[in-house]
Amino acid sequence: MNTPFEDGNNLRYAEYVLGVLDADTRAEVAREVAGSDEAATAVALWQRRLIPLADTIGEVAPAPYVWARIQDALQLEAPARVTPRKGLWDSLELWRWLGIGATALAAALLVVVSLPRPTPAPAVVNAGYMASTIQQDNGSAGWTATMDLEHARMVVVPATPVSFEQGRAPELWLIPAGGKPISVGMIDRDKPTTLALDPALLAQLGPTAVLAVSVEPIGGSPTGQPTGAVIGKGAIGAAPNAGGRVALTGHGQADRTRV
Amino acid sequence: MSVTSPAERDELNRLLQQAGRNDQKAFAELYKRTSSKLFGVCLRMLHDRGEAEEVLQETYTTVWRRAASFDSAKASAITWLVTLSRNKAIDRLRQHREELLDDPSKLNETVDDQPTPAAGAETSQEYQRLQQCLEELEPQQQSSVREAFFTGATYNELAARCKVPLGTMKSWIRRSLMQLRTCLDP
Repeated sequence: MNTPFEDGNNLRYAEYVLGVLDADTRAEVAREVAGSDEAATAVALWQRRLIPLADTIGEVAPAPYVWARIQDALQLEAPARVTPRKGLWDSLELWRWLGIGATALAAALLVVVSLPRPTPAPAVVNAGYMASTIQQDNGSAGWTATMDLEHARMVVVPATPVSFEQGRAPELWLIPAGGKPISVGMIDRDKPTTLALDPALLAQLGPTAVLAVSVEPIGGSPTGQPTGAVIGKGAIGAAPNAGGRVALTGHGQADRTRV
Repeated sequence: MSVTSPAERDELNRLLQQAGRNDQKAFAELYKRTSSKLFGVCLRMLHDRGEAEEVLQETYTTVWRRAASFDSAKASAITWLVTLSRNKAIDRLRQHREELLDDPSKLNETVDDQPTPAAGAETSQEYQRLQQCLEELEPQQQSSVREAFFTGATYNELAARCKVPLGTMKSWIRRSLMQLRTCLDP
């Protein structure tokens, strides 16, 4: 390398670490580093010198679904949970925010605690919660969905009982941005429903996806895609943060109440 | 979640080594402690949340696969992780650059001027030493080094942004790097 400095090679390693080289030269240096201990050591020294600059970059928490996607991509088995976090799930404020009264709360918790455990819960550590208010076309809230990413489950609570024709029931769909609807499951029209979220579904949850409810035959859409009218839609967002807690839920219960 | 204390650094080294022995729990804990830092780095370089999320995902899948090659004698875990995320982000930027060659106006972003630590960011002793050495550089050279580090821009892009000839930019940065080495190495 033609430079006015006597130590051209070392300079190239510094430029590599700083990040100013074009794609081809970067690739060359990367190959050198992989093949030569001397190059690797020189690069490591430059990292030690320059990377502390990153101290000045503020931290930004990534959305919980990023971790779900990493687990999905690596096909990691469900490890033990890292820390028993104070769960939003356990929070009274959350349930108040959901706008359900004591009876519905008791019913929901009963569903959550009493269900059998069909599969080990796909553990999503450091995950949080997401929520969606599924608005009906007339503007009133139809259901509120809360997603517990750590335990891979979703509770869908009707705001007010919705009436359906004989033989018809609501089915919940997740629609990824630009993608086809994926069935999450049938939900109840007048009481909370808990649904298990498989890793593929979990990986799609995020602010670019929406939840929708369509009118389907009692057993669910026969085609795997919505066949009836879409009666409600809701964006997915972070759940509100909650302070207090009630120790009422059954930890580690993966739930499935397909009606 | 500061990674500036020596105890925290040791803990991260240990977690990364355990991840290298296929310990998923350690890997999850490592993610929990470092992902916000790495996401901040990716966002700063890519300016796009979706892309930063993709790069963060690539980074940690690579961490899991390569953790066994981590050598704490060469670099601390946090340095190794930040380096990995920067490399992925820079690769992504270079890819874009090729896609954008038809529209070079998009390359002329404004200079990212954020010379001081973000509010609330704690800095390590290593950073404080580096900062002292940076302050010994000419102001323009100092800001070029920072701009290069934080944006992952090429020499060409930096020269265009700072409106100086390419040769000038190269000599600013090269001289700065050599001066930094002299200043930092005992």
